[in-house]
Amino acid sequence: MYSAFHLVTNNVSDVVREHQQQLDRPVIGVMPAYFPMELIEAAGGYPVQLWGNNLPIQHADSHLQGYCCSVAKSIMELELRGSADMVQAYAFTTLCDTLVNLREIYERVFSKPQVVLSMPMTRTMDARRSYLESGVESIVKGLEEITAQQITPTSLAESAALFGRTRELQRELYQIRRVSPGLIGNRDFYAVIKAGFFLPRTVYNTMLEDLLKKLKPLSPPKGKRPRIVISGLVFDPIDIFSTLDDLQVDVVDDDFANGWRTVSKKTLRTDNLVDGVAEYLYEAAPCCCLYNAENDRHDYLVDKTKQADADGVLFWYINFCEPDAFDAPLLKERLKKEGIPVSSIDVELTMSHFDAVKTRLNAFSEILEG
Amino acid sequence: MPKFEAISKMQEIMTNYYVEAKTTKEKPIAWVTSGAPVEFLQAMDIIPIYPENYAAMCASSHTGMELIDAAEAAGYSQDICSYARTDFGAAMTSGGPVGGLPEPDFLLCSTNICKTVIKWYEAIARVKKVPLFVVDTPFLYQGLNQPVIDYCVRQFKDLELFLADLTKRPFDHERFHETLFLTAEATELWRSILNLGETIPSPINAIDGFIHMAPIVTLRGTQTCVDYYKLLLAEAEKRVRDGVSAIPEEKYRVLWDNLPIWFKLKRLGKFFAEQKCAITAATYTNSWGGPLIEPWQSNDIYEVMASQYLSGYINLGFADRIKYLVELIETNSLTGFVMHSNRSCKPYSIGMYRLQEEVTHLTGKPGIIIEADQNDERAYSDAQTETRLEAFFESMDPVATAPNRA
Repeated sequence: MYSAFHLVTNNVSDVVREHQQQLDRPVIGVMPAYFPMELIEAAGGYPVQLWGNNLPIQHADSHLQGYCCSVAKSIMELELRGSADMVQAYAFTTLCDTLVNLREIYERVFSKPQVVLSMPMTRTMDARRSYLESGVESIVKGLEEITAQQITPTSLAESAALFGRTRELQRELYQIRRVSPGLIGNRDFYAVIKAGFFLPRTVYNTMLEDLLKKLKPLSPPKGKRPRIVISGLVFDPIDIFSTLDDLQVDVVDDDFANGWRTVSKKTLRTDNLVDGVAEYLYEAAPCCCLYNAENDRHDYLVDKTKQADADGVLFWYINFCEPDAFDAPLLKERLKKEGIPVSSIDVELTMSHFDAVKTRLNAFSEILEG
Repeated sequence: MPKFEAISKMQEIMTNYYVEAKTTKEKPIAWVTSGAPVEFLQAMDIIPIYPENYAAMCASSHTGMELIDAAEAAGYSQDICSYARTDFGAAMTSGGPVGGLPEPDFLLCSTNICKTVIKWYEAIARVKKVPLFVVDTPFLYQGLNQPVIDYCVRQFKDLELFLADLTKRPFDHERFHETLFLTAEATELWRSILNLGETIPSPINAIDGFIHMAPIVTLRGTQTCVDYYKLLLAEAEKRVRDGVSAIPEEKYRVLWDNLPIWFKLKRLGKFFAEQKCAITAATYTNSWGGPLIEPWQSNDIYEVMASQYLSGYINLGFADRIKYLVELIETNSLTGFVMHSNRSCKPYSIGMYRLQEEVTHLTGKPGIIIEADQNDERAYSDAQTETRLEAFFESMDPVATAPNRA
């Protein structure tokens, strides 16, 4: 049932190349996080999301220090090895200090064009809106130059509908996982979400629709198994989910930047694009990288955990991610006060040994089983 | 190495500043970042307190590590900024110099030094249960532009409302204007002092700059700050007239890029002097000395102020950083440059390898990158750093003897 999705995640380059040839559209590599990909699609581009990979770092170390996260390093490694030849341009946001500077390095080291969405982080709402207006104008212009195609009201509406449909279908999948824990294996679940980073919308939406149909008559495994919510930036290395599968621990919800924080976004409003992008950025699930005084992460994560009837929260920490590391201690303290057990794992996308992680997960699973 | 006599005055005014902040019953206290627009606070008799400055004090006095340990024991990762860890530790243990910082009534942070400050200040706001005002100053990929200026100005106006609401009195525009003039005057004086580094031999060292920058950061917008830099400038100018140099024998001249390594300031100062290398300029101290890029032309004081708070060195795109580094190398007649790859400051450090390569390519001057940290002593090795520096000194051509150009 999930083999088609695994096939995509195990052969990303071939899959992207194949679809690029079929579509005859320029591939735009989308950097973490929250760039509205609807605009790329509407400009006639083929957006492919880059959230890092597991390539051993051989070249990126000559540009990025040891204290730079493996997300940035592994993305750059891809380009330095010549493995991102099908990517014709990049779309950045100002997610964190590392990504801001990474864009500057790309500008000077590679010759591929880029667009950047500068995401305002202020409590002054009229300032936020007007600055975002100039940001949206700038990326629309930049994308149109890259693809040599205009973004029209029609192309934008069609694209918003396609991406909106994707997230709607993904939310259905999340809902199935919440109400029927264990019905979808953890690794399978994230392979399904991850495949969406690389496939054209129409192809991916059809695959999701088929999957949801197949899942409908199925029942979850019987018996009480530990249920957890996971919080982190990027849900890789995906191998870790196999450990959770082996331990029969069910992930019932998540707070990943490339998981629910993105999936929760409503269909992009295109009647007023600036308001639409503002809603897209700030009104979905909160993120440690996106300052928003009106969207508190603490209450949010407590509510999410309770609503999912989870037994505990696992913090999935990608080393050197400062925004995540700053939030974690107080967030954990709050969860503990609410009586929710927490644990954490430190990961690198490029790691190949999981013994420490396995030991940690095993211990957490035992605690949750009581 | 001769010390500036003005240092005793600086110690006095910094002590008075902390004493007033710790004892005041009337004036509100705001914890602010080093790049926050404090003129708004000065205008409303609010005392700005700088956790960054405090963390640097802790590291310089070698009390930082026990505070860092306390923060890490409470769950803060070694991956986060060591200034933040130092301050978190100080708050948890009531440790550090002057018995810790006075409690804040609110927080003001500006993103012109990093985005990390938002995370840091969000954590403080949560623990202290006080409001946080963020002035977002977006990264200048390609210099200043009207939308980014307008964005800041709108936030400034909102900050005025916030302060009026907090203090229950109207925002004092007259005082605000006075404060801006005081900032401009102090900035000009500070820049004049730093520019004396162009003199051969240099009367001032970046190590002096790191020490004497405390007032321009913490007392910006006050008469005390202006008076202090008048005193320091007079002393530095006298050094030029008397032919006094910052180090006994100047053979090499370099710039320092990034924050200092606070816990090694003394040792590195001595080491550079022994190696006959003067650090005549620093991008960090220069960030408080006025525009580093083409000034924004406007008659609107808010716009001018926005342009200044936007264009500190690390908020500039790499093209502007490279241009500025090359300019410093030329105006200071430098023989090379030192870059501190600072584990705690990603916006200053990530991309540094590329910058070094390009600046060397453009100027023909060698550069060295030192891997260290502003406050965390575990990220530093004396032997490794000094050996690398010795090799670097050997790679430089000595400065050409030239007439005194100041």
